[in-house]
Amino acid sequence: MQSAFDRRRINGPEDSYHPVFANKIQESPSNVHIIRENRKISDIRPIFLQPGLISQANGSAYIEMESMKIACSVYGPRQSKNTAYNEKGRLNVEVKFAPYSCELRRSPLRDAEDRSIAVAIQQALLSSVQLEHFPKSTIDIFLVIIEADGIEGCIASGSIAASTALADAGIDMYGLVTSCATAVIGTDLWIDPTQEESNTASGTLILSCMPALGIVTNVWQSGRIAPSEILACIDACNDRCTDIHSVVAQALLDSAHNKI
Amino acid sequence: MASALPSSSTTPSASDVNSSLSAAEREAIKAATFQRLHPRIYLERFLEEKIRPDGRSTAENIEDPNAWRNVEVNVGSITTALGSALVRIGKTTVVCGIKAEICEPELDNPDEGFLVPNVDLPALCSPKFKPGPPTEEAQVLSERLNEALGNGMLSLSSLCICSGKSAWVLYVDATVINYDGNVFDATLLAMVCALKNVSLPHADFDPELHRTVCTRSETDPSKPARKLAIQEDLIPLAFSFGVFAGSHLLPDPTASEETLLDTYISVILDAHAQVLAVSQLGAGVDNYEALGQGVNNLPSSREADALARCISLAKKRQAVLIKKVYNTST
Repeated sequence: MQSAFDRRRINGPEDSYHPVFANKIQESPSNVHIIRENRKISDIRPIFLQPGLISQANGSAYIEMESMKIACSVYGPRQSKNTAYNEKGRLNVEVKFAPYSCELRRSPLRDAEDRSIAVAIQQALLSSVQLEHFPKSTIDIFLVIIEADGIEGCIASGSIAASTALADAGIDMYGLVTSCATAVIGTDLWIDPTQEESNTASGTLILSCMPALGIVTNVWQSGRIAPSEILACIDACNDRCTDIHSVVAQALLDSAHNKI
Repeated sequence: MASALPSSSTTPSASDVNSSLSAAEREAIKAATFQRLHPRIYLERFLEEKIRPDGRSTAENIEDPNAWRNVEVNVGSITTALGSALVRIGKTTVVCGIKAEICEPELDNPDEGFLVPNVDLPALCSPKFKPGPPTEEAQVLSERLNEALGNGMLSLSSLCICSGKSAWVLYVDATVINYDGNVFDATLLAMVCALKNVSLPHADFDPELHRTVCTRSETDPSKPARKLAIQEDLIPLAFSFGVFAGSHLLPDPTASEETLLDTYISVILDAHAQVLAVSQLGAGVDNYEALGQGVNNLPSSREADALARCISLAKKRQAVLIKKVYNTST
């Protein structure tokens, strides 16, 4: 990995690369036959969700799903630096990968992947926040991905954490947003795929919705999925989202009880 | 006590909420408002009673362990990193992860690898940071950590794979998750615990192909992963203090205290409580009487200055902390 000399950081050598391991089996993704241990194809990974972990923020949440760890904090409503008057508040989402979060070390400089995840999460949350109550204000949502396991997982867990953090901050919302991802592998739909599983999939779909209101806020699909399969994916995700919603609600309730 | 000041944009039913609160909750909100409006007087009132806002004592009695916040260490939780540690000092939370890559050593030092520490203060950890390039504070912290870790604790020649051809570079990255003061101590502890947690895979340099190949210990048990060659004696531990209004010595300051300090003193000790480094930014203590009992129960006016007192306090604290570091980071 070429590291540009950044005078604001301690720099290592100019050029360093990820260690290559012997006995690495080189197979094309479609030939790899993976089995899912510990859970069924239609199960999501167990969620650990803790609101209020970051005392300095207005609201915060930490989510852990097996090997996915994301911390989220919400600051706001804060004054908008823009001079232009806007009737509705702005929702600003920023995502950052920690350098040690992925298999290959990520440079601390931000790149396009951070941005695309931030946009996906912002789209998922935009319809749920009552922005008309916050004119001239910005609500900042910052996420740090401490350990990542698949981009779809990041987007899904990130939006769950962000929605929990918004609730923890007491920001007016229409409902809690939950997300779930599905991968199409062969003819099966695998819910909540890991990095390895989504690499072998022909297509993935992420659904964000507000189960309490029965409204879909965002659908993000990539790869090759037949239209009938897409509808099946959305139905599967929708059921899971309802399950996740009860987990989130319980976590927020427990956290509120502990504050008293 | 209410955990946070209600945010400035109050909900439409704020007045209804207030009337349904108990007297204790209303007092708590008044106290939180006072702290937001007059932080200095708020702290002064507490220190007059010889106590700090979070209930800890000041550094008057040298034997009192209550002046320091609780420390929690958790290692090895991040599977994508070679070594990792999560440290919590009170509410300050720091995560450190280590990634190793292969590179060519420098021409001047062909037998040495590299240790590259960096700390990141993301916008997530505190309202005073905005997203963007590392702030001045982050840069200063990274530089101080680089100096603290570069004291010889880790032998750089142990990171060499083949002299002049191939060496390991360890990227030690710390991310602050919650900024509640004393980030330097927490980050140094996290980096040290993460380094002790690292298992470096076995690497062979192939001179014909000019490349390095690593082996996983599961596939070839004759080439096991190894721990880093760390000199236990030289492991640094940092202890930071602040001086408020020239007369109160506050060990392990929180974020609200930090903004009001005029002097910041940092002491780094090695495993045998020998001083590795000290730094004092600011004038120190003017009013010696306020420091209370001296080291050998002498009247405090005999005490050399705040720095000596800090060093003795740090040594006392280190005896307690070192057991925790060694117990949790094997």
